[in-house]
Amino acid sequence: MTDDTDFPKAVAAAALLQRRYRAETRFRWYGILATALALFFLGAMLISIVIIGHSAFRQTFVKLDIFFDPQILAADGKTDTDSLRRADYPALVRTSLREMFPGVSGRREQRQLYDLVSRGAPDSLREQVVKNPALIGSRASLWLLSSDDVDLFVKGEISRDTPESERQLTDLQLGWAEQIVAQGAADLRFNTAFFTTGDSREPETAGIWGAVAGSFYTLIVTMLLSFPIGVMAAVYLQEFAPKNRITEMIEVNINNLAAVPSIVFGLLGLAVFLNFLQMPRSAPLVGGIVLALMTLPTIIIAARAAILAVPPSIREAALAIGASPMQTAFHHVAPLAAPGMLTGAIIGMARALGETAPLLMIGMVAFIVDIPEGVFDAATVLPVQIFLWADSPERAFVAKMAAGIMVLLTFLIAMNLIAVILRRRFEQKW
Amino acid sequence: MIKKTFLVSAIAASAFACGAQARDQVQIVGSSTVFPFATAVAEEIGKSSGGKTPIVESTGTGGGFKLLCAGAGDNTPDVANASRAIKSSETEQCASNKAGDIIEVKIGYDGIVVANSRSAPQLSLTLKDIFLALAKDVPDADGKTKPNPYKTWKDVNPSLPDAKIEVLGPPPTSGTRDAFVELAMEGGCKTFPWVKALANDYKDAFAKICHSIREDGAFIEAGENDNLIIQKLVANPNAMGVFGFSFLDQNTDKVQGSIVENTEPSFDNIASGAYKVSRPLFFYVKAAHLDTVPGLKLYLAEFISEKAWGPEGYLAGKGLIPMPDEERAKVHSDVAANAKL
Amino acid sequence: MPNSDKIALAAPVLLKDRASAPTGFSDAAFARRRWLRSLWERPVYLLLVLSSLLAILTTIGIVLSLLFESLRFFEQVPLTEFLFGLKWSPQTALRADQVGSSGSFGAVPLFTGTLLISLISLVTAGPIGLFSAVYLAEYAGKKTRDAVKPLLEILAGVPTVIYGFFAALIVAPMLRDAGGFMGVGISSESALAAGLVMGVMIIPIISSLSDDVIASVPNALREASYSLGATQSETIRQVVLPAALPGIVSAMLLAASRAVGETMIVVMAAGLAANLTANPFAAVTTVTVQIVGLLTGDQEFDSPKTLAAFALGLVLFIVTLCLNITAMRVVKKYREKYD
Repeated sequence: MTDDTDFPKAVAAAALLQRRYRAETRFRWYGILATALALFFLGAMLISIVIIGHSAFRQTFVKLDIFFDPQILAADGKTDTDSLRRADYPALVRTSLREMFPGVSGRREQRQLYDLVSRGAPDSLREQVVKNPALIGSRASLWLLSSDDVDLFVKGEISRDTPESERQLTDLQLGWAEQIVAQGAADLRFNTAFFTTGDSREPETAGIWGAVAGSFYTLIVTMLLSFPIGVMAAVYLQEFAPKNRITEMIEVNINNLAAVPSIVFGLLGLAVFLNFLQMPRSAPLVGGIVLALMTLPTIIIAARAAILAVPPSIREAALAIGASPMQTAFHHVAPLAAPGMLTGAIIGMARALGETAPLLMIGMVAFIVDIPEGVFDAATVLPVQIFLWADSPERAFVAKMAAGIMVLLTFLIAMNLIAVILRRRFEQKW
Repeated sequence: MIKKTFLVSAIAASAFACGAQARDQVQIVGSSTVFPFATAVAEEIGKSSGGKTPIVESTGTGGGFKLLCAGAGDNTPDVANASRAIKSSETEQCASNKAGDIIEVKIGYDGIVVANSRSAPQLSLTLKDIFLALAKDVPDADGKTKPNPYKTWKDVNPSLPDAKIEVLGPPPTSGTRDAFVELAMEGGCKTFPWVKALANDYKDAFAKICHSIREDGAFIEAGENDNLIIQKLVANPNAMGVFGFSFLDQNTDKVQGSIVENTEPSFDNIASGAYKVSRPLFFYVKAAHLDTVPGLKLYLAEFISEKAWGPEGYLAGKGLIPMPDEERAKVHSDVAANAKL
Repeated sequence: MPNSDKIALAAPVLLKDRASAPTGFSDAAFARRRWLRSLWERPVYLLLVLSSLLAILTTIGIVLSLLFESLRFFEQVPLTEFLFGLKWSPQTALRADQVGSSGSFGAVPLFTGTLLISLISLVTAGPIGLFSAVYLAEYAGKKTRDAVKPLLEILAGVPTVIYGFFAALIVAPMLRDAGGFMGVGISSESALAAGLVMGVMIIPIISSLSDDVIASVPNALREASYSLGATQSETIRQVVLPAALPGIVSAMLLAASRAVGETMIVVMAAGLAANLTANPFAAVTTVTVQIVGLLTGDQEFDSPKTLAAFALGLVLFIVTLCLNITAMRVVKKYREKYD
């Protein structure tokens, strides 16, 4: 039907078409670019965390010849646990270092020598002697934890090229460290202590277990509070609530609460629980209650969606055989909605695990070394521990912090995976 | 309604229950300057005694005293660290809140440094320079004051570099702030004769001129976290930071202290008193808790032992400047007698 | 559960009723059982209602506690100074014999700082989130969608302290060095660093919400557009996006609300000094940073310093509430019903 004589118009139309196709391709590429950029940010973050943090999973140990000197350990002949605990174990380490590098004199140089080994190293000696007092008087070649600076050197992060004043190791210490490595007396081992001990002032002895236990207890409190209440509220709102203004207000409230900044919950916790009710600071109990209030809207919304997904025919069948609405809700609908509710709860817990701001307000920022053993013991949580390590000066804490982030991310990914698997296994297509 | 009150009272009951049971863990609050030393001692006794490690929180000296003096109960802390001596108003507060006897323990000395990143040039300052750079109102020659007009260090003293004045320092809750104000700011302030004359008779006016720090953005209150100040100094070579010597000592590879009144801030200079801006460090123990909180006496005994605070002790390794031998022995015997160790 | 199972479950009840009549299980006994059941069910019903009311109780608790402390604050500092004052210097003296700051509580620099960082984050996340949503909804195949969507969800699930670490230790120094290289002075705590990372954090919010909205636009509209000869991009630009616009705007508002209330990223990466500026290279501080700063340390509930934190919290709560309500209203009012 095209008029062949109208050539210029056809050319113009073809040109326009080409432009439109090019615009189309460009638009499509914007989309790909945007998605790729978002994924790139994710990848960059994860990769940088792994690069910075992987070195924290290995720790340097140095081999020292330790003489369990009875003069130091049991000078007055007492070998009961208490006296053995209080003996001067650092002296054993110092003697051993002096034997390893004879000719070091002067207080300053000797201090530098002693700084090669971790301040926590004598503790392993203490534990060994207390467990086995027969060691007193013997000699043994033991692997002890090195200081964080020697650890950085062995991992290759300190070089001779930087001027001495800008290095964590002096020239002398660098020389000794190089000697130790050359003798084969330095070994990089897997840092099991990271997973079994609590926080410490020294980076080489700091571990994440205290924070993990604290997170565990806090999440238990959160779960015990928010899951039952959330499920009950969702059941009520979906099954029983009449469609009036009050119900609408409750629903609007829940939606708003889900979007309130977490720091406001921290303020609530501070004003009501700490100030008004005088509850203990730094305890997982208060942290758990605050986090429960925060996760409640999420669980209610997820549970409502799960209950909504159960088809009406189930309810009608239950009612038809004489069940009361309550029995229908709890014996028929809720069990069928349970996988969805559980998934929502796990995802809510995962979010609560990563929360830091509200816990900063209620005092979970103290230096706590012991592993908490209950809900009332003072504790800190994983994200707060990461935050605290970010503020510490020692260079080695940076790697520890990144390692802590990796542990946190592992837990989160595991929880999300469990939620996804649960959903896939128990999902019912009606 | 009944269910709601039951729920609330259940939570409250549990709260009171855990408040009522005697605490089995020592609670320490206070100065961020003393924090590294307190945590070192806490960790040491935790490991050697096998008991619970004390909990240490960095609230600032002023905040620490407020918490300590809030009363004598179990929900108040046992020890308050301080980077300055307790003031009379705080002692009165303790008395009026019936907090009981407070035992003062001096633990050593500390210098206050004005530091910057090693990638910037080291400055040589006088107390007058420091005062003129940071005061809110600067006095002029004829008995009047004007708002601080100096924007760069060069304005203050032509021999200093032409860099914007940007100083990160402690907030009023910090004992370091009080000590810095009394030692450095006052020292510089007194170089104006007419201001010095006010010191005896017109204390309020004197304090107002000499203690007020500028609020136009050149002085930034950086909270109780001295480590954060160091990180910000490294990130911003133009900025200066005010904090305790121990933090400088632990980070000599990153920051350097400015020379003040021709004296380098070093261990020896502070110990000998040559570095002028230095002050003693303390902690204060609530006597009433010595017998009720397990581990408190142990903490006290460990802190005042040679192993900890002596010249060979581990606290010196963390940057604490020990007291001279005779002073150490005297404080040790006084405290041991007071606390019935 | 297949129907046969349901009947099997119901069988005992049915059969029992059937069997009860001849064995003499009287109507009265049955009525009594039903009365017992309702006796137990009443308290449970009450429990359900109370659980739902807990949401309202929490909101009331938040509002009351914030309001109460804020009112005490406004007794000491006038509301106009707080809302319109330009000087923020809250570190007042702790004791009578101490000289601290003059205690000006003008919060405008905090509001502008929050606004600056949130704006930067929206400018970053908006195009990326929207375009990736468009791509995933319209162009991507099922395999790509299934692979990419969960990955974007991961971005949403990463705790903010990790973003804060990333911003403070990696992005901010990089920007500072880049600025030095180009001769532009970028602060080591620039609003740009915090804003960029915050933008990355809110990409998934915009992306997944927009994706849902775009996917819910009925295909009939698209097909009508194609039948007129439009290319896919023209369809998207002129038909789909306008139809999905209320949902997209709502997503942006929700993302803005999240950005305004964010704490950890700015605590770790933004500055501490109140700075009234629109320069993204300068260091600014936000409302949330100041709340954290005012409340760690001295915790006495009498000083205007501590109470100021609650006043700031109240402002934050009201602003995010308004943004959320507006977001919901926009969707409700402007959404077209296609069925």
